[in-house]
Amino acid sequence: MEAKGKKEQSVAAALLARAHTPDEANRIFTEKIQHRPLFLTPSSPPPSDARAARQREREKKKQQRKKALKPKPLSAAQRRKLGLYDVPREGQKYALFEPLHNLWLGYIREILGGEIYTGGEGAAAKLTSADYHGAGVEVVRSGCVSRVGIKGIVVKDSKFAFEIVTKKNTLKLVPKEGTVFRFEVPAVNARSGSRDPGAEDADGAAATTPEQHETDRPQNMVFEIHGDQFQFRSADRANKKFRVHFSKKL
Amino acid sequence: MLSLPTPSLYQASKCFATHGVMSHLDPNQSPSKSKPWSTLTSQDFVNRADLIVPQEAYDAIHAKLVEGRRAPEFKRVVMSLHDILTSEFFVEYIKKGDILMLSEGQRGIDNVFSLRTGILTMFLDKEAYERAGLVGKPHGVKGRRGLKPRWIVQLDLTNPSMSRGHKGFDRLVYASKNALNASTVWLFCDMASTTPDPDPLSQHFPSGYTCNPRVMRDVSVIIPPLSPKLDSTILGPREDFESFATEIYEWLSLARLQSPRIQLGDQVDPYLCRYQVPGPGEQGSKICKISWQGFLSPSWAREILVDVISALPSKTWFSFSTTTFSKGMAGDNSECTILRPPGSPGEYIMWEVKAHE
Repeated sequence: MEAKGKKEQSVAAALLARAHTPDEANRIFTEKIQHRPLFLTPSSPPPSDARAARQREREKKKQQRKKALKPKPLSAAQRRKLGLYDVPREGQKYALFEPLHNLWLGYIREILGGEIYTGGEGAAAKLTSADYHGAGVEVVRSGCVSRVGIKGIVVKDSKFAFEIVTKKNTLKLVPKEGTVFRFEVPAVNARSGSRDPGAEDADGAAATTPEQHETDRPQNMVFEIHGDQFQFRSADRANKKFRVHFSKKL
Repeated sequence: MLSLPTPSLYQASKCFATHGVMSHLDPNQSPSKSKPWSTLTSQDFVNRADLIVPQEAYDAIHAKLVEGRRAPEFKRVVMSLHDILTSEFFVEYIKKGDILMLSEGQRGIDNVFSLRTGILTMFLDKEAYERAGLVGKPHGVKGRRGLKPRWIVQLDLTNPSMSRGHKGFDRLVYASKNALNASTVWLFCDMASTTPDPDPLSQHFPSGYTCNPRVMRDVSVIIPPLSPKLDSTILGPREDFESFATEIYEWLSLARLQSPRIQLGDQVDPYLCRYQVPGPGEQGSKICKISWQGFLSPSWAREILVDVISALPSKTWFSFSTTTFSKGMAGDNSECTILRPPGSPGEYIMWEVKAHE
């Protein structure tokens, strides 16, 4: 404030002089501007005494102890650090997951029942709410072309990706976005002759036309799932209603 | 789903005119690096070739080209990409031989495959590319690809790593079994002189075609002055050469089309056509035209040009033009026309029409 020039009255003083009497202006200038008190510690709220400070400390510790007793789920970073959901190197064997795959086949056949032969809307609804851990999958179409052709058993079905173990005992994490997955379920009783065209997908969000594939002895039910529309955790999918969505990418 | 049709960017084909001097032809070594020859070999598949010579030179040409040479042959066969990549065909023709193949379709609309000097080029639409799983480059005008880009995939099949068991080749075979498994019509041209025995192509029952040259003789036309004035190309303003080149190219194209407008004694109502043959020419002379049409290779075109130059007396003029198969949706072809003006042995004028794609 002094830097403005000793001869010149400071701007603040000049402004004050215009609004107040000279005495008042002088008083305000010296009290509030020139000798303005600079508080080193904030004065409001009022500074507590030692007793209040100790009380506050005790409360805080009690809260923390209570919080620590309550069980909380792990955060994503903690999960990754702990490595709880990683498949260990010895466990990345295709042969280990084949029994799981057979279990899954039995489970899917049980869910679909007779609709394994006919396909259509009902089958599609059941398939969307099914669980895919242990399913045999092949990546059939993808915006990222290096993913096409990956074939194996689903080890983990997370919200945005499938973890697949291939025949060559490698674990591959395939994102669901922009990718189409194909699943095949062989029907147990080989039926001769009939080949149903499979009803058009009204439930197009999850499954495209489930078609019947007549191979030499067993018949296969083949269906494709668009990963774009399938980005939900398997637990969340159970009660979700899928609606037909137009996909700009197709 | 309703959507506006994607706009296509149409660019007209461009014509490049060159006036130069050909190097002397060495009978042992056929030229390939210098200007008129390199343009001929840079074309991919030749559909039509025409040769226009004055009538006086007809006998020499006829003896050398029509009788002295075997007419080029090509075959039309229905195969799938999988058949090409597996079986004896792959070993005999692609690895050991030298062939040209082109599949049916238009590049902007269908999935087109072409095989040339061992390089397989596939023009795919979005779905086929995403299902195939092969790495490619985007294809089409940059700003106009929109949500449905098209892709080009290029693979060199003569590479030793392109054999069974190697990852790259296995991916290609996988793609040919799943995404690109449609069997299409192919045109096949074997550039080697001997066919392997037994012929692996015969199991697909090809139909063979021979491109016999068609000769049109004794056509009386009015010929414009075909020699460029020297100062017009080098010293004079560019417009002189441009107008000369345009007029002569127009006349040559009309001669190729056998248009009645250039024939002697043509009386057409000027309301219908106002074309006049440039120059003062009033008396006509006779020309003859030999044309081949089919699936021809650019190296064959180069050999024909060598034969023509060696057969004709050096002062005679001639014009040789080749047209390729059309590339883009607009159906533009790329074309190369070479004219040797009368009276100057090494000189040539070349018009190269390049389609937009």
